[in-house]
Amino acid sequence: MQQTNRLRPFFENITFERDDNELVLNFGPQHPSAHGQLRLMLHLQQEQIVKAHPDVGYLHRGMEKMAENMIYNEFMPTTDRMDYIASSSNNYGFALAVEKLIGLEVPRRAKVIRMMLLEINRLMSHLFWLATTALDIGAMTVFLYAFREREYLMDLVEDYCGARLTHAAIRIGGVPLDIPDNFLGDLKKFLDKLPENIKDYEDLLDQNRIWKMRMENVGVIPTEMALSWGCTGPMLRASGVKWDIRKEEPYELYDEVDFDIPWSDRGDNYARYKIYMAEMRESAKILYQTIDMYNETVKNNQTELMAHAPQYISAPKLDIMTQNYSLMQHFVLVTQGMRPPVGEVYAATESPKGELGYFIRSEGGPYPYRLKVRAPSFWHTGILTDLLPGHYIPDVVSIIGTTNIVFGEVDR
Amino acid sequence: MAQHQVNYAQDGGLPVALTTVDKVVNWGRSNSLWALTYGLACCGIEMMASGASRYDFDRFGTIFRASPRQAELMIVAGTLTKKHAEFIRRLYDQMTEPKWVISMGSCANTGGMFNTYATVQGVDRVIPVDLYLPGCAPRPETLQYAVMMLQKKIRREKAIKAQKPKRLM
Amino acid sequence: MRRYTPKDDVQKKPYYTDRYWVAPQVPKYPVEEDEVFAEDLKAIKKKFKVDDAYIQVEQMVVYIRSEDNFGVLQLMRDELGYTQLSELSAIDRLAERGQFEVFYQMLSMQKRKRVRVKMLIDEHEAVNSVEKLFRSADWAEREMYDMFGIKLNNHPFPKRILMPDDWEGFPLRKTYPLQGDEFAAWYEVDKIFGKEARDIIGPELRDSAMVDRYDTKRFARLGHEVPYGAEFKADQPETPLGYQEEEGVFMIEKFDEEKSVVISDRDR
Repeated sequence: MQQTNRLRPFFENITFERDDNELVLNFGPQHPSAHGQLRLMLHLQQEQIVKAHPDVGYLHRGMEKMAENMIYNEFMPTTDRMDYIASSSNNYGFALAVEKLIGLEVPRRAKVIRMMLLEINRLMSHLFWLATTALDIGAMTVFLYAFREREYLMDLVEDYCGARLTHAAIRIGGVPLDIPDNFLGDLKKFLDKLPENIKDYEDLLDQNRIWKMRMENVGVIPTEMALSWGCTGPMLRASGVKWDIRKEEPYELYDEVDFDIPWSDRGDNYARYKIYMAEMRESAKILYQTIDMYNETVKNNQTELMAHAPQYISAPKLDIMTQNYSLMQHFVLVTQGMRPPVGEVYAATESPKGELGYFIRSEGGPYPYRLKVRAPSFWHTGILTDLLPGHYIPDVVSIIGTTNIVFGEVDR
Repeated sequence: MAQHQVNYAQDGGLPVALTTVDKVVNWGRSNSLWALTYGLACCGIEMMASGASRYDFDRFGTIFRASPRQAELMIVAGTLTKKHAEFIRRLYDQMTEPKWVISMGSCANTGGMFNTYATVQGVDRVIPVDLYLPGCAPRPETLQYAVMMLQKKIRREKAIKAQKPKRLM
Repeated sequence: MRRYTPKDDVQKKPYYTDRYWVAPQVPKYPVEEDEVFAEDLKAIKKKFKVDDAYIQVEQMVVYIRSEDNFGVLQLMRDELGYTQLSELSAIDRLAERGQFEVFYQMLSMQKRKRVRVKMLIDEHEAVNSVEKLFRSADWAEREMYDMFGIKLNNHPFPKRILMPDDWEGFPLRKTYPLQGDEFAAWYEVDKIFGKEARDIIGPELRDSAMVDRYDTKRFARLGHEVPYGAEFKADQPETPLGYQEEEGVFMIEKFDEEKSVVISDRDR
């Protein structure tokens, strides 16, 4: 039985009597192919879009405000919920920003483990992108296959940190745990099989007539537009700018590993699809190298996982349990929080979606005075304003798909 | 024309099973819970994972539908914000009776970790909820368990009953 | 007497700070230490007034006058090669000095350098929009307006972006409490059911640690469930949880744990 409430039919955006034959179509905020809570107001001329107004904020949870009321370590699990498809990359971005603020150097083994997690997250995110985009366009088979591989990656992450989706696997100053025994073997097994799997997806999609019709020459982003809208990551690389922060401003050990940056100058959906596929191969390449790097640290007996900075970082568990001073430090750090120096930092990392930057202003207190997250998806949603006009309604879905937006990150 | 004598009461004589209307209707309802895709945030990803290859939700008869008019189960998966609250009520009103709601994850249950100005502190402030599923984010197995618990709840209901409003408003 | 709490900054405060504790500083370096930055700064100084400039954490920070922001960003984009505006937002410093600090985070891909252009504006001062230079500023400035209430000149669509259009207050100001004000607390109830429903639905429960085992309207105990609103007795008999009834389910085979197979080694 329906209950009464004050909600009336939603016509406030629709003008019934107009001179032109323009139709206003509301898309979302709960649309199965909007990849979350995107709402689009589309002005249509027959089936062609003449004006598009993306409306976001349906997942605005006030994370920046939360950050101002939390000690630095407390905020780490909240970053997980930002780009929840690749949570470790958010953790890492935040940890890096705070480490730059303090001026910490992370031990080598922690760096290797971080890189492993980051690349596993990149693979997870790209597989998820492939699955959902293919599903939106109608390729259900690819969805099922891509999710199968993604589950194996989730098993790996679960072996490491115990969580499937929201990892919180990176701490400020290092990583909390060493990798478990079976991890490297399982990772290798997965990586050996991955090229076959990627080839399967490509066999299904690359020359598929429907896929090509929905992807080729649809959603073309010229270079100027991409730069002007602040696009980063695969969106920018598909538009002819070879820019990857891992290569240009290397963080962690990315300057030691060998990998290529796939890019294209076509700027359409198909180019973005090809870049995602190529990036998965590159990630696998990096992961193979990190396995060797990890074994090297084992050989050199570099067992440290957290940086040594008693003012900011708790001592290892063994010290806390055996040494009085470490226990005192730990108590202060947990109850009051670390107090980074006064200053500002902006640290940019290459998350699977693009440039993920954290701007932190510290006033010397245990709470950040201001924390701003530069989330790539925010601008990739904004570009829809300029990108959609001229396209047809069915193209909207494929364009939203290839922009790879996640709303936890857009709205924060 | 041959005159066969059929003993209907005999076991295996004809594919006939005797039962009550209640049981048949509830059997049908509980095993074809078509869910509305209501992925709001992180839990929505786990909801998708439970629909995908490894956790295969279809074997419970739960198929995700995009339209509220074809759905009878709303799995509210994720944080409900104040801006979105109006739309969840709208979609809930559009679903046809009988309808059930699973609130999936801490955010949907109580607001969870997002104790802020922009988050609705529990979807039960807006729509009535049948089953609360804790976790942040709950694993797909947990969601499947929740659906099975809901099936159990449905089996206890009377099929033909005067529809009475659920407790909210 | 009740202790006085400041109203201009209601964010969480550390409950204890050592009397002799002096906060260390993130080191600032003069701009001359980096050739590229020094040249950029010279070019900006030629045309505009620069209040302060230094390098902090590998990035140059330049303080400019608020009326120059369009000009400086145009110069940087067209002549200095800073082709991307990565981020734009504000910092609330009203409590301290009655001003907002607006920052523009710029990126040059040729030089691989990042510059932060900053300016101070008064509380009611409007900012010139840079949307004509960088389209990304369109949304960023809307977000800035939404969160801080900073007004914009020449913006094509100056509306709220993250919060609903009819929202009151600017959430990221320091005067705005984390859990919202009166308006925020009742927003969804007022909108959907009307103000008269406030009594029926009740206030929000903001204490995340609150658990009352005898409140059977809000809490249930696994294995000891009672109907909604019924009284909970101390010696409540156990009601075992299970997703199938003991006597079995109509037309559905009962799950038998002994017959099931557990796959331990997944085929990776």
